[in-house]
Amino acid sequence: MDYILEGIIGAFQLLLSGHEETYSAVATTLKVSTLSITACLLVGIPLGFLLGYRNFLGKRAIRAVVDTLLALPTVVVGLLVYAFITRRGPLGEMGLLFTLRGIAIGQFILALPIVVSLTASAVEELDPKLGLTLKTLGATKRQVALSSLWEGRYSVMVSAITAYGRVISEVGASMMLGGNIKWHTRTITTAIALETGKGQFSMGIALGLVLLTLAFAVNTTVSVLRRRA
Amino acid sequence: MMPIYKLENLKKVYDERTVLDIEDLKIQEGEIIGLVGPNGSGKSTLLRILALLEKPTEGDIYFRGEMAVFEENKHRKHVTMLLQNPFLLKRTVFENIAYGLRMRGQVNRLTEKVNDALNMVGLDPGNFSGRKWYQLSGGEAQRVALASRLVLRPKVILLDEPTASVDTASGRIIQNAVLKARDMWGSTLVIVTHDLAWIYGVAERILSLFRGKLIKEVPENILAGDWRPYGKGLSALRLSDGQFVIGAGSLSPDSVAILDPEDVIIGLEKPAIDSALNSLRGTIIEMSLENGTGQVLVKVKVADRLFTSVVTGCSAENLRLRPGTAVFLHFKASAIKWMRHS
Repeated sequence: MDYILEGIIGAFQLLLSGHEETYSAVATTLKVSTLSITACLLVGIPLGFLLGYRNFLGKRAIRAVVDTLLALPTVVVGLLVYAFITRRGPLGEMGLLFTLRGIAIGQFILALPIVVSLTASAVEELDPKLGLTLKTLGATKRQVALSSLWEGRYSVMVSAITAYGRVISEVGASMMLGGNIKWHTRTITTAIALETGKGQFSMGIALGLVLLTLAFAVNTTVSVLRRRA
Repeated sequence: MMPIYKLENLKKVYDERTVLDIEDLKIQEGEIIGLVGPNGSGKSTLLRILALLEKPTEGDIYFRGEMAVFEENKHRKHVTMLLQNPFLLKRTVFENIAYGLRMRGQVNRLTEKVNDALNMVGLDPGNFSGRKWYQLSGGEAQRVALASRLVLRPKVILLDEPTASVDTASGRIIQNAVLKARDMWGSTLVIVTHDLAWIYGVAERILSLFRGKLIKEVPENILAGDWRPYGKGLSALRLSDGQFVIGAGSLSPDSVAILDPEDVIIGLEKPAIDSALNSLRGTIIEMSLENGTGQVLVKVKVADRLFTSVVTGCSAENLRLRPGTAVFLHFKASAIKWMRHS
């Protein structure tokens, strides 16, 4: 059991001493997750809004597909994207494999269904009196749509943060698409997997603590926003 | 003068059920209209159509002489409606009230306009402007909702039971604020309310809806129930205390009887018996002065039903009528009119 205790003590030493390799993984995680989540929100919020706000043929079917994709296994995403961006793949020439952009593509695909589905739900769950109220205040169709999205902003933020939580904690796609290259594509989760395999518990625990702190911050924000929504 | 609303042969049908059927209705600019009728009589549907939120299935509606547009807010921006349950946007009180003005691009002297609107509904701007939507009581929220409409100085204010879900004090403030809007800007008011004493006091016209139809511009007595043949071409409705209402005419099983309040005479004593004359014993429970006419609406409880009668102020005084007085209601059997289900 001593090795666990030593691991924990070592973890704090690494964090407090500013251990470069540890912080490199943290920085990589923040960099790649920011990239993927930004792209995801830009695409996912408008799509989710349309899916929740408008009525059209096939809406239910699309909704069912999106909801199914919520449970997409990260390794399957890793596999699919790998097949596309590997040298032999259709996008091979773009040189995306084992780069941050490659990981971001995988994370984007993982997070997109979450943002689309939760945004659509947020819009669908808006009080029916909202549209009526906006119209009675003289809003045009476009203003009603934009104001509805704004009124659902707390729920939309919940979707964004939930997706971010998924992105920072996934390991499969990052490992397969990033290749876990030290100083380059090694993220918190891939580093933990590797260091644990090597028996280097200190760094694993240190990174685990950072990840838990991030997850805690994410969850706290979600619960605060839920109360507002 | 051109009416602000003109409705012609208007029908609204939901699932093959006609919920509104109005042949002809004109509402003048600046008029105060009370809209009364039992639940499900089509009051809210009519309000939503007047608010240009819902299109009629058939018929035409003109707004200030032009065919009303439902898809855009060309006409709708002049009309606003206050819903029964207070609903606010998830913003501060200030932003709630400023919303309509912002949507119209009227942001000049915004703070001043918002403060005026808050004052109109009796809320101190310094104290309330910065509050969030969840920091208000139900009554305060409804007053903010009203302020967000008053700030637009609308041509028409439609109110759907505006005081039903708020405290008495807030209700009184809301009632006074809409009347002030009418006085200041000539806004037309169409009000659905159960506060009959108030609405009969302030309305210039009362529209009574029953099963989607305008039955008369004063409240009719509607006598639904188990009408049975009574011989000699008469029909009778037995009331819970054993008294009978006698109506002339044959009836079909789905008939409903209507009795004009002006045909109901109030007396303190029972007259000589006459088979054609109804004479029902009851107690006055409410009296209200009809706006502008000097007539008094008297509500009399007979068994488990309410009858309305109209008397002149003079005869109300002579008979010393007041709530609690035991009276007899007289009306001819031929005063009973029959209406079929739509």
